[in-house]
Amino acid sequence: MSRVELLSPEGLRIDGRRPAELRKITSTTSVLSQADGSAYLEHGNTKVLAAVYGPREARHRALVIHDRAVLNVELNLAPFSTGERRRRNKNDKRLLEIAQFVKQTFEPVVITTLYPRSQIDIYFQVIQHDGGTLQACINAATLALIDAGIAMTDYVCACTAGWVEREAAIDLNYTEESADTSEMTIAMLPKSSKITLMQMESRLHVDKLDEVIALAGEGCKQIHEVLDKTVRDRAEDLARKMAV
Amino acid sequence: MPGLISPAERDYILKGIECNIRADGRQRPDYREVILETGVVSQTSGSARVRIAGGSDVLVSVKAEIGSPSASQQFEGRGADDLNNELTQMMSRFLHHTKTTFTTPSSSSSQGSAGAGASTTAGSSSSTGGINLSKLCIIPGQQCWILYIDALVLDYGGNLMDAILMGTRAAIFDTQIPKTEVQDLGDGQFEFEVLDDAEDTDIVEGREDMPICVTLNKVGARHIVDASPLEELCTEAKLVVAVNRSGELCGLQKGNDGGIEPSLLLEMIQFGKTMGQTLIKQLDLKIKEEADSDLAKRQRGEPIQKLGFFAQ
Repeated sequence: MSRVELLSPEGLRIDGRRPAELRKITSTTSVLSQADGSAYLEHGNTKVLAAVYGPREARHRALVIHDRAVLNVELNLAPFSTGERRRRNKNDKRLLEIAQFVKQTFEPVVITTLYPRSQIDIYFQVIQHDGGTLQACINAATLALIDAGIAMTDYVCACTAGWVEREAAIDLNYTEESADTSEMTIAMLPKSSKITLMQMESRLHVDKLDEVIALAGEGCKQIHEVLDKTVRDRAEDLARKMAV
Repeated sequence: MPGLISPAERDYILKGIECNIRADGRQRPDYREVILETGVVSQTSGSARVRIAGGSDVLVSVKAEIGSPSASQQFEGRGADDLNNELTQMMSRFLHHTKTTFTTPSSSSSQGSAGAGASTTAGSSSSTGGINLSKLCIIPGQQCWILYIDALVLDYGGNLMDAILMGTRAAIFDTQIPKTEVQDLGDGQFEFEVLDDAEDTDIVEGREDMPICVTLNKVGARHIVDASPLEELCTEAKLVVAVNRSGELCGLQKGNDGGIEPSLLLEMIQFGKTMGQTLIKQLDLKIKEEADSDLAKRQRGEPIQKLGFFAQ
């Protein structure tokens, strides 16, 4: 098997980025009319739409917890989002797993005790997949939850980092992800620098771990600035419209 | 989708429509503003996003993949589950003979005369309008392009069918299929190669004849187009009229429980036809404008910025 050279001799990555450079992030909120909160986010070519419904009455009685709200996360990958068209089952293990990660990430951050006996639904639609689906989903969910006005203790910012050939690199794209690099996704609360999610599936030498975590943490802080700007811009825009 | 409406609300909408003024200020035959953008998903062969102001938002993608003609090909709808079936059926009907012509290459091979099979499909599809599927054939009976159309309903604000068909038409217009080179190895053996040139691609032939549909909702004794969700709840009967650019009717479907008087039915069909033709003209103009500006930018080497969700 021919290996793709992920890092050029000049130290540039396959898409021309430097190892510690994020892809361009663009985001906007309130894109859907029916959802209580929604957000659209792009990490380079990875495009995710998040919709938040709730807090609302729980669908099933069995789900009700009397002193707090339950989070329900569902993820859907558009059949055309990957290079080859593939229709995924709604119960695809991989998708369920990502949804579970998102749920676990947000459970400690959303102040669920404010909404007893209710349910908060977060739905994701991945429109285009180019690596870093989990980080994109978490970042989009943060925006959508804020847009829905759901109480949270802090933003949640997620970022991936991995070891590409001989260096730690941030925000891996699909080519880098699929080339057997070790990849780690971290979700962080930027104010307290607490980590709410750390997920890695491949092996990484323990000596390199610190560097990768530090880099991902750095990325989270940068992403926080972008998300914060989106939220503030939106709030300013709304305030201006209300003043008229 | 919201499924409840109060009697007061219903009354307000009914009386408004009777007086030719609807809840959002439109008159009965008025369409809402449509936002259309093509080429929004780079991983597809063609894509389009249609947003009807104030609600419905549909992303349609066309993906051309090589497969054998016998593989089950269909137009797939995705969204609410009940919509799924309705859409798939309607679209395959409206887009004309698609199902039958897709399978023709395989049936022709069983006859042993590939050429004859292809020419009959060409005849049938070009005479009735819609995509010329015989052009999608690579090796008769063995390999062909399959166009997968996926419509993703992102937001609901009434009048989904129209939005989806508009999007499908635009996505097909945006579709580029790579050229192929077939080599005859003798003994009925063929080999083909997909050419890798992004500049030199085929378009989907017959795309101009793709129909769109206009959904007419009968509310009271009147009919309206482009109904909002609440108006859809007041609809007694709806009529979906599919029409192509030359004004040929490509499909008719009546929905909901109520009935339509024959005289009104004819009026509605006539109205749907003219409305559809006007819409197609406007859509084609916009698609062409966008394609031209993209081409000009490409020639100047400028990046093409798509608005995507940032268009509000």
